[in-house]
Amino acid sequence: MIKHKKAQWPWHGLTALVLIGLACSLYFATSMISYEWRWNRVPQYFAYHAEEAHRAAGYGKVEAITRQGDLASVTLRDEDGGEQVLEVDHDSLQLAKGDDVAEGDLIGVTRHWAAGPLAWGLWTTVWISLASGVLGLLIGLVAGLCRLSNNPTLRDLSTVYVELVRGTPLLVQIFIFYFFIGTVLNLSREFAGVAALALFTGAYVAEIVRAGVQSIARGQGEAARSLGLSAGQSMRHVVLPQAFKRVLPPLAGQFISLVKDTSLVSVIAITELTKSGREAITTSFSTFEIWFCVAGLYLLINLPLSHFASRLERRLAQSD
Amino acid sequence: MIEVRDLVKVFDTRGQVVRAVDHVSTNVAKGEVLVVLGPSGSGKSTFLRCLNGLESFDEGTVSIDGLQLVDPKTDVNAYRREVGMVFQHFNLFPHMTVLENLCLAQKVVRKRGKQEREAKARMLLEKVGIGQKANEFPSRLSGGQQQRVAIARALAMDPKVMLFDEPTSALDPEMVGEVLDVMKTLAVEGMTMVCVTHEMGFAREVADRVLFFDHGKLLEDSPPEQFFTAPKDLRAQAFLRQVL
Repeated sequence: MIKHKKAQWPWHGLTALVLIGLACSLYFATSMISYEWRWNRVPQYFAYHAEEAHRAAGYGKVEAITRQGDLASVTLRDEDGGEQVLEVDHDSLQLAKGDDVAEGDLIGVTRHWAAGPLAWGLWTTVWISLASGVLGLLIGLVAGLCRLSNNPTLRDLSTVYVELVRGTPLLVQIFIFYFFIGTVLNLSREFAGVAALALFTGAYVAEIVRAGVQSIARGQGEAARSLGLSAGQSMRHVVLPQAFKRVLPPLAGQFISLVKDTSLVSVIAITELTKSGREAITTSFSTFEIWFCVAGLYLLINLPLSHFASRLERRLAQSD
Repeated sequence: MIEVRDLVKVFDTRGQVVRAVDHVSTNVAKGEVLVVLGPSGSGKSTFLRCLNGLESFDEGTVSIDGLQLVDPKTDVNAYRREVGMVFQHFNLFPHMTVLENLCLAQKVVRKRGKQEREAKARMLLEKVGIGQKANEFPSRLSGGQQQRVAIARALAMDPKVMLFDEPTSALDPEMVGEVLDVMKTLAVEGMTMVCVTHEMGFAREVADRVLFFDHGKLLEDSPPEQFFTAPKDLRAQAFLRQVL
């Protein structure tokens, strides 16, 4: 049969229509429950204009006010002749020249941008993911190679590790790490959280590594050994580079999972993205908006991650 | 050069014991070309793989230039440096270019400098007739070209002996010739070679001795003209009737 090449764009158009339809029905559904959308409350949780108050140090008079752009420089003279100079935003100035001031009186404020709770939460999620991802990769590589080792002890230990970790919920592991191991070894909550996530990821990476190495034809290792390479050299130069290429898709999936699983460390009071979202809701009452934002922020981490993985995959496929 | 004494290799699969190599002894002199023949499952490939320790064996000794393979003092990697091997399925490293395939072991094992190893690699690629493919990946090469790269890769280590494990069995018929030509050149240059093959023409033309295996036993060890015209062993006679 001859396959005719058909234009693809009408189908992409249909996809767009379906998505728009879904969005509309979502909007309609929320209007049914009379929810008041207040998106304007959200941005302050990313960044806000922080105000810092400047107060008089003692009793005295305002001796001079000089204006420099938006700033005003206020000079106070107290009863003993001491001088205090304060810089405040001009529009916040509460006094005029010659006014009396008492100790603790507000002279004015300065404003600057500060990161809000959602921004801090995002940052915490990113560094916890990164730290536990790198550690998990190392643990997984070692454990995966141990599972293939000729030494029965190494093989048994790595099998026990993988089965224990895969057979118990991550949430329970985090509790054990924080409340039991953390108490015994006096670990900080961040350390306990990262360690639990790294060990959890390591077990899955170990299985990915084992499967990847086993999928490389035996002849590859034999060819390397026949050239005089040691077992380690053959693994490093011949088998692992090929295995890495093959396991890249499941590995990327594992790291995307890890980013999402970091939300579980909120249970040991690490203020990552999910917990800061919950905190933002308690003060804003904008439940829907904040949760949509939190979901969007996770996507903001994961979409580039999966894009990067598929680019790397294409680059490594050059030799096929 | 190669000395094999009472070599025994037993495969034990679920209680079924098979003697893949059964008390085989032979010598290979320097510069000699041996061709190993036999029906499939006769143990000839296993015998070849025992010669460089890719297959462990149960009894007997193998040595090259006095270096014992089973001696605990022998570094098996150092031993294998001296023995080149060419496989049926080429086993080129697919993630490396042809040049990198030839340079890896020179760099990692022989610790040669970049210029030295690349010059050696290019010289050998020229010799096997694919100098212009140095920067290609193996997947872009035909089977015959890949096998010639594999031969060059083994030669890059300056081995004392070359082992060939059915080097033309996985090739399309029109490519067999180009690989055999390279092997003939090697033989003429005085390389010590042990070849497991089904190429009777090559055996007749190039071999100094023909070894015939069946059921793990070395049944006949004679010059090719004698083996092909008047084989002593009955099973060798039957084998030749089938393949010729």
